[in-house]
Amino acid sequence: MTTFVFRNQTVEAFLGYDDVTYSGYDDISMIPSEVDRYIWFYQVSVNADSAQLAQEIQSYSDKLDIVLSGIDSNKPFVIFSLVNLFSVRLTGDETAVGQAIAAFNNHASALAVSHPNVKWVDFTEFTSRYDADTLVNWKYYLLSQTLLNPKLARDFHAWWRRLEGELALQRKKCLILDLDNTLWGGVLGEDGIDGIKLGGDYPGKAFSYWQRSILQLARNGVILAVCSKNNEADVDEAWRQNPFMVLKREHFSSLRINWQDKATNIREIATELNIGLDSMVFVDDNPTERELIKQMLPQVEVPDFPDKPYELMPFFKLLVEKYFRIYAVTSEDRAKTEQYRANAMRKAEQSHFADLESYLYSLDMQLDIIPADEHNLSRISQMTQKTNQFNLTTRRYTEADVHQHLDQGWRVYCMSVSDRFGDNGITAAIFLEPVDDTTINIDSLLLSCRILGKGIEEAFIKTIFNLLRLDGYRQLTADFLPTAKNGQTADFYDRMGMSCDHTDDAGAKHYTMALSNMFEIKNYYNIRVL
Amino acid sequence: MTIEEKVLEIMREVFDMDEISTDASQKNCERWDSLHHLTLASELEDAFDIELEPEEIAEMTDFSRVVALLAAKVK
Repeated sequence: MTTFVFRNQTVEAFLGYDDVTYSGYDDISMIPSEVDRYIWFYQVSVNADSAQLAQEIQSYSDKLDIVLSGIDSNKPFVIFSLVNLFSVRLTGDETAVGQAIAAFNNHASALAVSHPNVKWVDFTEFTSRYDADTLVNWKYYLLSQTLLNPKLARDFHAWWRRLEGELALQRKKCLILDLDNTLWGGVLGEDGIDGIKLGGDYPGKAFSYWQRSILQLARNGVILAVCSKNNEADVDEAWRQNPFMVLKREHFSSLRINWQDKATNIREIATELNIGLDSMVFVDDNPTERELIKQMLPQVEVPDFPDKPYELMPFFKLLVEKYFRIYAVTSEDRAKTEQYRANAMRKAEQSHFADLESYLYSLDMQLDIIPADEHNLSRISQMTQKTNQFNLTTRRYTEADVHQHLDQGWRVYCMSVSDRFGDNGITAAIFLEPVDDTTINIDSLLLSCRILGKGIEEAFIKTIFNLLRLDGYRQLTADFLPTAKNGQTADFYDRMGMSCDHTDDAGAKHYTMALSNMFEIKNYYNIRVL
Repeated sequence: MTIEEKVLEIMREVFDMDEISTDASQKNCERWDSLHHLTLASELEDAFDIELEPEEIAEMTDFSRVVALLAAKVK
């Protein structure tokens, strides 16, 4: 990468010679176009006439504008802030130079907001490490026009290398937060809503400041998520009832408040928000959890968490500087948080519930198991033709075939499924072929994809098992015949407690099971056998 | 390490050259320009723990003068 540096002093010792070329001193008449990057690195001149010096500094802003309008807006332009390395104030109220420097710095940092290619570097991050006598070496200044002490060149190189890395970094998009001892002091499950440390005196005060700071990140386009081992209902109550809570449910675009391992949760958050793991930062007070994420998800950034609540302030500064410093904020960025949240809600109705079971309860599912008859026969036939994924044997039957099987004494059932969101209609079917008085074979079993994920397939088959047992059957056989599409059912019968007697070369699995007991079925399904 | 060896090592580093001869001077060594000259002075000051006066820095135009100057200062 080649760099062109606009400068008013000799800064070669700092920015180097390799692939770097320099303007004349305070010379913007020539702006080369064939370089990859531009740097503006001016020093405050030495001039005992402070009014004149202030005027000179004011002219830098105009020159900066001219340069900016003359370069390719796709090329990075790094602007160093001006630092007054050596000031002689003849009178106590002499402020012109200081004001001119501040005005230039305000102007330059505003350019960084309005121009995506402009990055503003606060040079005091470097100079504030040294005292005035170390910063300036008058001998070298007078020999070669370099006020900044060349003996600091080595330190400067190290600092600049790190900063260049940060400038090139993609800003992170999402901050994932733990709750207990991270967003507030104490453990909600033990200390209670009013026992956690938040607000009031120290240490609660530190957590309040921390939450307010994070809220500002969210307002500037950083997506917030929660990943916490807690009972979601407890957290919800704390969000609603603790008067000091700044960050509440509505500020988080994705929530994983459960007892599942955090690596799985973070992967889910990434999927839900549709952003890469490499744009996430995970903050947790527990070193074990941090280590787990570092090991399992090395793409996620995992900073160390401060030991003391009063260290949260510098920790926030570190988070901003390292991961979230925003060089340009668009209104789109600010709206992003809201969009992500809405999408996440649509995607995951589950996230409103403490666990899957209460979700399933809330669905108010009605399963009607209906023997095949004239009314549903064409639908059953159609399902055998169309269902590919949840279909154990993928046998296709015409209406005439179904008729014929019924005439041969087969038992054919279908199932109609509805819940509080609507009626899915007939979405499952099973074909059972009697082998003898006590043995029956499952010829076909299929469910429509749209009802999967709620355990309905298990409730369906176990209800059928129970029906068969009540009708005197004691032995069951079944097959799984693999296709390109039905991989998800390969171990379905195993999970239902059947034993696989043999698997043939083509991958087909043959099962048997004794119908010796009735099966228990979860009570969040209302099941009717018609 | 003699003064000569130490100066050669610093020059190799400052001028970023693999080899440098004891004949090197500002005239025959392209990398020994005014900017590198100051870096050289600064590095010599640190390495020998001395202060070089601007007049002395101006006189260090070739390798033998540098060594002579340092020999006098270090004593």
